[in-house]
Amino acid sequence: MFKLSEIKELIKLLDQTSSVHELEIESEGMKLAIRKPDRPEADGTAVQATPYNAYPFTPAPQPQSVQQVSYPVISEVPPAQQPQAVAEGKLHKIVSPMVGTFYSAASPEMPSFVNVGDRVGEKTTVCIIEAMKLMNELEAEIKGEIVSVLAENGQLVEYGQPLFLVKPE
Amino acid sequence: MNIQKVLIANRGEIAVRIIRACRELGISTVAVYSEPDRDSLHVRLADEAYCIGPMPSKDSYLNFTNIMSVATLTECDAIHPGYGFLAENADFAEICESCNIIFIGPSPDAINRMGDKAVAKETMKLAGVPIIPGSDGLVGDVEEAVMLGRDIGYPIIIKATAGGGGKGIRIAEDEESLVKQITAAQQEAQKAFGNAGVYLEKYLTGMKHVEIQIIADKHGNVVHLGERDCSVQRRRQKLIEEAPCSVLTPDIREAMGNAAVRAALAVNYSGAGTLEFLLGPDGQFYFMEMNTRIQVEHPVTEMVTGVDLIKEMISVAEGNPLSFTQEDIVINGWSIECRINAEDPERNFMPSPGKIGFYLPPGGLGVRVDSAAYPGYTISPFYDSMIAKLIVWAPTRQEAIAKMKRALAEFAVEGIHTTIPFHQKLLEHPVFLDGNFDIKFLEEYEI
Repeated sequence: MFKLSEIKELIKLLDQTSSVHELEIESEGMKLAIRKPDRPEADGTAVQATPYNAYPFTPAPQPQSVQQVSYPVISEVPPAQQPQAVAEGKLHKIVSPMVGTFYSAASPEMPSFVNVGDRVGEKTTVCIIEAMKLMNELEAEIKGEIVSVLAENGQLVEYGQPLFLVKPE
Repeated sequence: MNIQKVLIANRGEIAVRIIRACRELGISTVAVYSEPDRDSLHVRLADEAYCIGPMPSKDSYLNFTNIMSVATLTECDAIHPGYGFLAENADFAEICESCNIIFIGPSPDAINRMGDKAVAKETMKLAGVPIIPGSDGLVGDVEEAVMLGRDIGYPIIIKATAGGGGKGIRIAEDEESLVKQITAAQQEAQKAFGNAGVYLEKYLTGMKHVEIQIIADKHGNVVHLGERDCSVQRRRQKLIEEAPCSVLTPDIREAMGNAAVRAALAVNYSGAGTLEFLLGPDGQFYFMEMNTRIQVEHPVTEMVTGVDLIKEMISVAEGNPLSFTQEDIVINGWSIECRINAEDPERNFMPSPGKIGFYLPPGGLGVRVDSAAYPGYTISPFYDSMIAKLIVWAPTRQEAIAKMKRALAEFAVEGIHTTIPFHQKLLEHPVFLDGNFDIKFLEEYEI
């Protein structure tokens, strides 16, 4: 059982670092998940500093009670980001060829270009990367099925950052 | 305005240097890196770090779009370009302006005027700064070169106007040599710098390379911080620098300092800059070029003046007046810097990239090491070969040399070849100890 003082200390440490955005600890049957907000309006802790956060993490094997604390940044692991249990080695990563803002759709009102489970062809547009006011459409460049979407709409992505996992045909 | 977040558009030791200054000022730092630089020290030290491209500099450290993308998306107030890369790129400075991001350096106009070497010479001439006798601007064809050659007198040096940092230079000992080399020089310049323009200068001998550090604010104040003697060069690349210069008298120092200040005023300069001069044995000095950026060897000036040049650059960029006047600058003691490179001095300084094993820089009173190396770090073959800058300060030149020798002997770098043994021999050489060496020192003497 986590003590309140321990949880407060963890939150403080997480707040001070910009390279860790999510922290998950399991101990004695309890699971504590702390996640920082990454909306651009948040005060400076919003931006993802490293590519580590883009990698999907595997969900906990059995259900357990998650200790929730009334602090705005705590939330459960978002289900949308949990990948299928596919061997990573067989999957193709679509990576960003530039630094910019990742957009999953052509405009806020339109639906996403691709979703998990969609089949794509080489010329299928999978997302838009905006750099310096120029919109760049990214093509899949591979035939297969989208297994995972690794970037969030509006997120800053860096060169080489994995955006999608594709199971090639 | 107060700068609160800076993007460092560089790598290696200078990126570390800038991050340190920002840390001390409470400014957040954003590092950018190419894929092979993922484990670099500057990436680890910065508050945020972003990959901006693959190995080739043109796709990463020279990639305007990716760099500006990071700067705007992370809401940086300013960009510090360091030295090399985009530091003297007027277009980049302009793009910063249009994105409302402060470029920590001079205006695009000042960069342009000093970047074109032939134009810079002309500007200096008008400002009453002595220049090396030579062609009046660029040379057209071979006939014109031959006519000029007869006027100037041999030997003659052919320089690329878009060159700099010792690149794009050829020597012609006589008319025949000039004729042979002039066209080749123009073609080389076109290929290397995208500008075929070359100009001629009388090749002076027995000269020392003495440069003056200046810093200017955006309110018209310019102060010089004394000189650096950078005559110890191998293939025009500096290996050892010292401040002050052992042959300079107070009145020549004052004359050179004033000339440097006049030069800066002539182009409405702001920020840190260096005026490079050739100093003759007769005490006559001539303008060579102006570097509109912070230089590698800036630490020796910091050690003898006590001024933190990077912090002052940031302060000036914010719009503050200089935090000192000319009268406040006092040159105290002696400082020497050795550039330790990953090169094998036994094999003609062949680059020696690789993984550093055990690494222990020296310490003690008056010893400073500016480096991005650490145990287990791999010096990559893709960028410059610098491992560290070893800088010492002591009250006199003799003590500074003794201290440098002691510090070099303690500096442990295992796993790669370094130029430490070369520096150790250099510091025993009578010509160096005497202080009267000129820029041909390493060419003419065996170390």
